[in-house]
Amino acid sequence: MFPMLTLLSMFYYICLRRRSRSGTRSEALGSRRAVELGQRSALPVTVEVEQYGKEVLDFSSHYGSENSMSYTMWNLAGVPNVYPSSGDFTQTAVFRTYGSWWEQCISSATPFRRTPPNFHSLDYLELAFEEPVYPTAVEVLETYHPGAIVKILACSLNPFSQNPPADVRWEVLWAGKPNKSLTPQARQFSPSIRQISFASNLLRLEVNSTLLDYYTELDAVILRGVRERPILALYKIPVIDINDLSDSEEEISDAGGLCCRSGGENRHNMGNGYFDRLPYELIQLIVSHLPVPDLCRLAQSCKLFHKHCCDPLQYIQLSLQPYWARLTDASLSHLQSRCTLLQRLNMSWTGNRGAVTAAGFCSFMKACGLSLVCLELSCCHFLTEACLEVIAQTCQCLQELNLASCDRLQPQAFNLIAKLPNLRRLVLYRTKVEQSAILSILTFCPELRHLNLGSCVMIEDYDVVASMLSARCRSLRSLDLWRCRNLSERGLAELVSGCRLLEELDLGWCSTLQSSSGCFQHLARSLPRLRKLFLTANRTVCDSDLEELAANCSALEHLDILGTRMVSPVSLRKLLQCCPQLKLLDVSFCSQIDSRFIQELSGLFPNVSIKKSFTQ
Amino acid sequence: MLSVLSYGRLVARAVIGGLSQTDSRDYSLVSASFGFGKDFRKGILKKGMCYGDDACFIARHRSADVLGVADGVGGWRDYGVDPSQFSGTLMRTCERMVKEGRFVPSNPVGILTTSYYELLQNKVPLLGSSTACLVVLDRQSHRLHTANLGDSGFLVVRGGEVVHRSDEQQHYFNTPFQLSIAPPEAEGSVLSDSPEAADSSSFDVQLGDIILTATDGLFDNMPDYMILQELKKLKNTNYESIQQTAKSIAEQAHVLAYDPNYMSPFAQFACDNGLNVRGGKPDDITVLLSIVAEYTD
Repeated sequence: MFPMLTLLSMFYYICLRRRSRSGTRSEALGSRRAVELGQRSALPVTVEVEQYGKEVLDFSSHYGSENSMSYTMWNLAGVPNVYPSSGDFTQTAVFRTYGSWWEQCISSATPFRRTPPNFHSLDYLELAFEEPVYPTAVEVLETYHPGAIVKILACSLNPFSQNPPADVRWEVLWAGKPNKSLTPQARQFSPSIRQISFASNLLRLEVNSTLLDYYTELDAVILRGVRERPILALYKIPVIDINDLSDSEEEISDAGGLCCRSGGENRHNMGNGYFDRLPYELIQLIVSHLPVPDLCRLAQSCKLFHKHCCDPLQYIQLSLQPYWARLTDASLSHLQSRCTLLQRLNMSWTGNRGAVTAAGFCSFMKACGLSLVCLELSCCHFLTEACLEVIAQTCQCLQELNLASCDRLQPQAFNLIAKLPNLRRLVLYRTKVEQSAILSILTFCPELRHLNLGSCVMIEDYDVVASMLSARCRSLRSLDLWRCRNLSERGLAELVSGCRLLEELDLGWCSTLQSSSGCFQHLARSLPRLRKLFLTANRTVCDSDLEELAANCSALEHLDILGTRMVSPVSLRKLLQCCPQLKLLDVSFCSQIDSRFIQELSGLFPNVSIKKSFTQ
Repeated sequence: MLSVLSYGRLVARAVIGGLSQTDSRDYSLVSASFGFGKDFRKGILKKGMCYGDDACFIARHRSADVLGVADGVGGWRDYGVDPSQFSGTLMRTCERMVKEGRFVPSNPVGILTTSYYELLQNKVPLLGSSTACLVVLDRQSHRLHTANLGDSGFLVVRGGEVVHRSDEQQHYFNTPFQLSIAPPEAEGSVLSDSPEAADSSSFDVQLGDIILTATDGLFDNMPDYMILQELKKLKNTNYESIQQTAKSIAEQAHVLAYDPNYMSPFAQFACDNGLNVRGGKPDDITVLLSIVAEYTD
């Protein structure tokens, strides 16, 4: 009796309690939320930290001179100098190119097949901040022709820490398409960014200024973030981009694992449906339209596709540049077995911060470099002299080599390039190549058609280089001597007399050339095939030079005479009349040419894009 | 026994610490500027720190305080070139260089040289010329490093006496050394001195030293004793009193410049060279007045 009663009462008591709890649950919850909120307001509000860039660590190109403060990438660090003013100012960060003008030149590389449609980046910069934060906003202050930024990424590595972690992750904060903005006026670009799972103080901005009318200029970058990882989303969770390739590394490494499985030859009708009936070549053709990560994913689906996707015929051209964030030594070794027929390889921007080692690259080269014809290694900071040694030994068929902005490569490494006798295109923009190395290269590579020595500050005497070019490289079609400081009229005269086939010549910011010596007139008379001539910031260009160009160079398409006070409207009009192919004419800061005259010329010659920059 | 030793060590440390304390403090310059453009009536609105064709700057960095003046050569006006563009851009470039730390405090000539070559990196074709005078105080070492090209200059006043001064650099009468960028057609005939031709000097400074940096508009109109008289009135080391003194010096020089009967130092020098002139010398006047004080954040 009594145990029953106690049992019943306990039972009743428990039920009552539960009901009271459930009855007032909503209120209880409400009160709990209120308490939480109350607590949250009582706790210190998560402080948003705002930082300007501390140091620009890496970049693919810039307009200014090395060691200068004008138009160089280092201006991006620190507080803004120009914003909110608009204009072409020295205190901003400017990239080397804009628009599609450089893509139209014969000196540019043929585009690689299989570039994923969402990869638009042509240039990049990496900016470090003082303190790692979980980013909540990134604001870029663009002060001239905005709209070039196509991607913002954040890195898990703290570049200032003494003990770098083993794995380095890059997460995309925002990605977009290249934008044509309507005006060149300054703007603050603040896209909505993703929330990421780690604190970061290293941002990477990738740009594409193909749709812009002139150089884009960046003044500062502001990183806003919080120190503690936000518990709730501070903004709505964005839709995950299905094109986001953050898993592709696993695919590439998985594919490597898959390669170990022995795939013996099998009969037809393996259960792949109609694919078993299609001829081999047809499946190859279908699969040839897939970008590389999809190729690796497809390889895991079945043995048939594995055979197709690992077929070396799919890897004759390989561009790994879009996947720079995830390419490692392991990826290279897994791709090695498929790349034995490799002819064109683009590894620009890859392998930095330890992702690819020199040894890994060397073994890949030894295995796959025998048929290599084109090798793009722009901004590959893992390269060493040993790597170039392997390239020189293995890639005897190499015709194109791009080492732009490989500014950590030691000067003596460049001597090895002389061992590639079939070289036709060589890009050494912003490298430390020295006089002896370049002379050696020119001596042993007589087939050179395209040579880029822009901003090569370690070459002491460009006259000697010009002389060697005219003696040895008579098939030269394009030459980029941007910012070569000591080319004189003597060297230029020798150059144009020897290299008669020159179509493109960039002598921008070569301040030692004086028009009064007649060198530009001699140039015009000697190079009738000239299609591109840059005489940027040569203050001596005058009317007689333009008259000679008008008389002799009717094929002229791109002309830049920025900053001369000695060119009058009359000779400019004559030039436009005599050069019907002209597409680009830059007369910025030419004091005799005013905007009204430009308008008149644009009306008369609608096919010419006339550029007149301003500082406000 | 042990406690006596430790106590003794404490006392010794305190005493030595107290003695060396003055040497380890950082110095800094408290500076103010004032000036008059020659044609201030024109009312051309310029960015701050430009007085007529003169320009100046005051900049701070972690390791140093830097002042600079530049006197744009007015003769360019006859050729359609605005003389203030060169001096202004030169000073702003020096200022930016200091702010970004691209300099060595003990080498002000280096600042001048790099800034001059930076002017050539500008897309805009700059023309003109100017003198330049830079003064750098190294905060930790308490040394003042200076560079002077041309006839601007500085005075260091201690205890009511001039203890250091710059020398004028002139090619001939009224033609000082100058940095210039000439149009290509006139390159041979325009005076252009290399920045490396600047005079440099280094010396120690003490707390309370007064440094007066100015263009020749001041020195040509006010002899030393008048300047020293005005400086005697400076009692405090705060910004307002320095600003007030700089203003009064500049104003006095400005008044004297337009006095036709006053025997200015310029007139005196001209007479010494055989030219019979009298009166002040109307010119742009820029005065930068600084006191060496302890560094406070």
